[in-house]
Amino acid sequence: MSGENQGGAIVPYSEEAKKPVVYPLRHGLKPPISRLGISWSRGNSLRVTVFRQPSEDSENEVGGKAVEVRLDGRDGEISDAQWRRIAYGSVSPFALLQSRKNSFASLSKISSTTSPFDAEWWEYVLEYSKDISSLLGNQTSTTQSLIEDPKEVLKKDPEPSNLKAAWELMESFYADKLSQAWLPERLVDWLADYDSLFSSTQETVHSKLVDFQKDLVSLQVIEDEPKYWEVMSSALAVGWLDIVVKLLRLHGSYQLDQLGNRETENGLVEAVAVLISKMPRMRPELEAGKLGECFKAKPDFMKAWEKWRAQIAKLECSTFWIQCAHRQTQEGLRNMLQIMLGNTNNLCTLTCHWMELYIAHFLYIRPFTVGLESMYGLAQKCIQLKPMAASHRLMGLLIGILGENIEVVLAECSKGFGPWMVTHAIEVLTAGSHQADTLLHEERDNLGGISMEELHRLVYAQVLSSHPLTWQIAPIYLTSCIKQGMGLLEMLLYKQPVDHNQLLLKNLEICRLYELDSVSSNIMKIAGMYNWKHGKKGSGVYWLQQARDEARLNRIAQQMFDSVGRSISDENFRQWEGLIQLLGSEPKTAGGLEFLHNYRDFKKSLLQIRDGKTTDAARQAVESLISLMKNPCTPQRFWLPLLHDSLKLLNWEERPLLNVLQTNLLLNKLQELSIARLRPDFIEADLPPHALSSVRLALATNLGRTTLEEQ
Amino acid sequence: MAITGVRTPPQVHRFPQSKYIDAVRWLPPLSPLSKLAVLAIYDTDADSPSLETHSISLPASLTPHSQWTPPTRISSLSTSHQSLVAASTLSGSLHVLSSAMQVLLSVDENSGFHVGPISGVDLTGSECVSVGEDGRVNLVSVIGGGEFKRVYDGNGLVGFNCVKWASPTEFVTGGFGYGLQWWDLRRAGSGGPVLQFKGNFGSQGKASGMIHSVDIHPSRKHTCLAGGSSGTVFAWDLRWQQQSIVLSGVGTGEAVTHSLSESEVWEVQYDCHTKSSNISSSRVLPAMFCSEDGILAVVEQGEEPFELLAEPCAINSFDIDPQNPSDVICSLEWESIAIVSRP
Amino acid sequence: MIRFCPPLNPNRGYELAKGTIAAARRSAEMVWLSPIAVSGGNIATLDKGTTCSSWNYCGQRLATGSTDGTLSIFDSPDPSSSSFTCNLKTKVHAGAILKVVWVPPEFGDAVACICSDGSLLLWEEIVEDAQPLQWKLCKSFESTSTQVLDVQFGVSSTSLKLVAAYSDGHVKVYELLDPLILKNWQLQAEFQNAIDSVTMFRKASCISASISWNPQKGENQGSSFVLGFNSDTPQLNSSKVWEFDEAHNRWLPVAELALPEDRSDEVYAVAWALNIGRPYEVIAVATQKGIAIWHVGANPELDGRLSVEKVALLSGHGGEVWQMEWDMSGTTLATTGSDGMVRLWQSNLNGVWDEQAAFQPTA
Repeated sequence: MSGENQGGAIVPYSEEAKKPVVYPLRHGLKPPISRLGISWSRGNSLRVTVFRQPSEDSENEVGGKAVEVRLDGRDGEISDAQWRRIAYGSVSPFALLQSRKNSFASLSKISSTTSPFDAEWWEYVLEYSKDISSLLGNQTSTTQSLIEDPKEVLKKDPEPSNLKAAWELMESFYADKLSQAWLPERLVDWLADYDSLFSSTQETVHSKLVDFQKDLVSLQVIEDEPKYWEVMSSALAVGWLDIVVKLLRLHGSYQLDQLGNRETENGLVEAVAVLISKMPRMRPELEAGKLGECFKAKPDFMKAWEKWRAQIAKLECSTFWIQCAHRQTQEGLRNMLQIMLGNTNNLCTLTCHWMELYIAHFLYIRPFTVGLESMYGLAQKCIQLKPMAASHRLMGLLIGILGENIEVVLAECSKGFGPWMVTHAIEVLTAGSHQADTLLHEERDNLGGISMEELHRLVYAQVLSSHPLTWQIAPIYLTSCIKQGMGLLEMLLYKQPVDHNQLLLKNLEICRLYELDSVSSNIMKIAGMYNWKHGKKGSGVYWLQQARDEARLNRIAQQMFDSVGRSISDENFRQWEGLIQLLGSEPKTAGGLEFLHNYRDFKKSLLQIRDGKTTDAARQAVESLISLMKNPCTPQRFWLPLLHDSLKLLNWEERPLLNVLQTNLLLNKLQELSIARLRPDFIEADLPPHALSSVRLALATNLGRTTLEEQ
Repeated sequence: MAITGVRTPPQVHRFPQSKYIDAVRWLPPLSPLSKLAVLAIYDTDADSPSLETHSISLPASLTPHSQWTPPTRISSLSTSHQSLVAASTLSGSLHVLSSAMQVLLSVDENSGFHVGPISGVDLTGSECVSVGEDGRVNLVSVIGGGEFKRVYDGNGLVGFNCVKWASPTEFVTGGFGYGLQWWDLRRAGSGGPVLQFKGNFGSQGKASGMIHSVDIHPSRKHTCLAGGSSGTVFAWDLRWQQQSIVLSGVGTGEAVTHSLSESEVWEVQYDCHTKSSNISSSRVLPAMFCSEDGILAVVEQGEEPFELLAEPCAINSFDIDPQNPSDVICSLEWESIAIVSRP
Repeated sequence: MIRFCPPLNPNRGYELAKGTIAAARRSAEMVWLSPIAVSGGNIATLDKGTTCSSWNYCGQRLATGSTDGTLSIFDSPDPSSSSFTCNLKTKVHAGAILKVVWVPPEFGDAVACICSDGSLLLWEEIVEDAQPLQWKLCKSFESTSTQVLDVQFGVSSTSLKLVAAYSDGHVKVYELLDPLILKNWQLQAEFQNAIDSVTMFRKASCISASISWNPQKGENQGSSFVLGFNSDTPQLNSSKVWEFDEAHNRWLPVAELALPEDRSDEVYAVAWALNIGRPYEVIAVATQKGIAIWHVGANPELDGRLSVEKVALLSGHGGEVWQMEWDMSGTTLATTGSDGMVRLWQSNLNGVWDEQAAFQPTA
């Protein structure tokens, strides 16, 4: 049964894919479980409460557990802290690229000749890609140390990550325009850096080398060891020329005491080593320490290649082989020549992973391969020859890239590497392919009118929102989402706790940056209420003032009034006074507080009257009373209590304190009040029932007295 | 940002921590070859706070030295010349430690000390003053064995964010409404601050703001340096109590003020490294601040300000090395430490 | 992490490659659920007899109710922490607490408790008159003959509204009079969950009800909700969207979320999805037939009704659906039900709804 016959063979997998994956949710409770509760927390973490059926027997048993499930697509390969570092580090490159994109867009509006895909844009994308790549770990190829251990053939590199390997693939194929001409060589380098990643699931050339490295120290006569020749041939097959040459030079014939009687043998070894190090490569340059001769132009390369192959063929037919007494050396070296001559069988046996065979093809069989289509065809052939024991996410991605299927590439990025990868790789993808650009920017009704690019950014922003330290960078991504980003940002900001001052201020700072005034005032309102109800009345009022929440401030003013209105000497008054004092009297504060300031002055004067009974204080109190009654900020419901408090002033013994005009004003207010009382929504003040009549009487008396006095 | 004259840019060393740094302070060094700093750390992965000293040898290394685990996260940190560290927590306890992270003294949060988080502490000699959003001002004597003295209780009607000693008997606090309060323990009978100042910088639509940090220069105790909301850095001279000198921020004064930052100024300190061109006693000494929008800068009255750092994330706290004022340590929002060495 | 893991068969390499491509292509249709890495763990341990729980708006406080009428509040001193301990227990009722619901944070830290005798209690955390912080009863909605089945709060710019669904099929909407005090509530409206407002169903007996407010923030919030009953009266069951008609100061049913043949189906749960920019609303309704996803038009048609379209019917929990919750972007629906599983649902790029993952509690 072959794959071709099935025409794309999707069938075996589709049924499996329909069933969702079932994950265990460990809670550590003894059964039976009676019920579950669910709640979404920060970002996309889900909290599940598990309730246990209470049983009679045990006393101190646990009744349930709350469990948090993070749906963030994190990868076990990279620790949480490292993920955060990557997330922090990608903010600046991403933001820079977006702003460049915006300025490009505005430029192209002015002059239609500039397309965002011109040369300059490529450079920006490549710069972005390099910045991101540098976050994912150090360059794996380390510089050589000064004192070199001749027996250390394999450098101990920092553990390469799948994520970095995936990013480099994306960069080579989409971002780096210059590498398009020598993609096979880019893949050779790529495999050299990341071959070890496949060692976990199967044997690789790298794992062979690692094993051999361990034995190397104990080996006396290295060239007698068949493994020596096998490992070298394998390394040669995948183009790790420097390692092969280094290993060759460990050959016993190089030793000074043996040089004399193994001259021919040594000559052959050296000849192969020289041929290896002179291998023509079609690429602009090679890193220091790497072997081969670079050719930028294809004709030059072809010429050199033919010459090189001719030299190998010549050596192969040389008569020196007969004079070589050491059988293993003779066989081993000729095997290596076969590799360089592109012997398919040799290459196939010496490589392990299909990718290694693939690279060997590029190096020795089809060095002139260009174009993704032929690369894809070759990949299929290699997979056929060397089937994968288990699928690997990097291979999935590579096949998607080679197959020129953007959807697959996206899916593999998402499935294998998570939302961070997709969100950031999209920038590279869209720059490298018009197909991707169209696919990712098309607005889809099924997504509620957003594009796939926006969708992926929203998903990533949700992942960022799940962690208390990364939620603050989510806005960077959300504001790059034209349609739904702000909506999600508002939700995110609204869901932040307010009880910690510093966090609250950081939250409000984001509101300020993105001019989300209504969100910010809502947050301040929540903070105000939290503080107000939790015994921090000062900060409560502060935040409500910042929120310009007139309704609540007026209610607070009324509460203050209620609590001070009852008895003047109340200790409460001093407290309120302190509060009003500290809040100050900015011109823009809510009306309720302005009223309170006047009220405070009025009360102060009244207090003084009671203590010292001075007419001056009384006059001042009258001034305050009049200004309070004149002020439109003074709520109507306070009129009667104010007048009732002022009875003593109205009935001042020595002489009337209010003039005719003032008395009339107050009488008018009283009249207005009587009418207002007829309305159903009128709130009756908490005063003795005769309050109104006694005020009216006092005012009438005062009017009489003052009229007499003024005549 | 315009930079006056030719300034050699400072060297910046960054140390990613993979833990959140709540606060940083220098400590007197243990050996002449390395420096010592104390970091208030919060590890979100392990959900645990810690207070750690790290020895620093530039250019490359930051090595953990000793460590102590507080009951909850550190809310404020202060160090004294005698290598003592005072740390307050979000749950309202206060701890005084030696630089070897040996606890010398703890005031329990359940002793009626503060209600809720302590927002500011300052340690000088043997006295530690603490303030909170609850409006309480408390004194703890390092030699007193965990007893505290209540200086004031605002009953939540006022709240304080920061405190700084001016003399052994005087200190200044800052809080809501750009408010500064001057306290004198010799006149504690009055039950409140001796002097008060309320900034009125709210000309740009913002009703008011907060003070997050105050500093007092040992040689000029009459001038308080304060930093807070909307990028505001100003000085309050007790000799001219009703006015303030705006050094940075959205000032309302007729004098043109420079504004490097528009967001919260988290910390301010007088900068003894920057040499002032004018040393008249009426001029405010140069000051350094760090802000939510990632600025670490030096401002001086009547001079162009200059940036030492402009980070993509917030700089939450910094400290100028008293032994060697050219070195500044800062904690960055993105879980890292930066050390700025000025030429 | 979901990894593509085909059966091991080394002889089928080429098919494997093709299979990979096919699987990848298929997953391209579903890309938007990020691969799931289940991390995290226990964040709180509940007492014996706990029957219900609720997280507050920012997920930093957990309120639970138990069979003996104890309300417990879990929190942590640090806003970044995800480990919660019980700092308060208070007995709020003689009987059991059946449900707890947090009051929106604009009105303080308070919860509504539905108790086994059908009463509804509002408890609030507050500092009063120099007393330390404590939880206090601020309002008790008592009813003698009927029981409260569900309660939900809706915030508008000026006020707080409370909708309570009763066992006799009645719905009451209360409005808070004073934003500072949760004591004074005014009954704004009382009606039955029926399109025909004239007929009264007197002998209705309801087992459960589910209410979900339109979660929109901003200007028009707090003006509509969806409600469904599980009762013996077919007319009351189907979920209806109720909208407040400002001009006439009344609540009107503007949409019915049930096909004509399904109208009498008992409703287990309803959930109105957050809308961060879609031109239509999405509401999930669970009945014994499954979980239906409805698209509801934003603007009323000529007859004042909203256009509705049932876009999916998902079968998952077999029997009763206990709870449904939309995530913060309104794209993923989490459900739990009598099969003891938690399931996650999403629609793919083609608008097809499907189950994306399931969680099975294990010891």
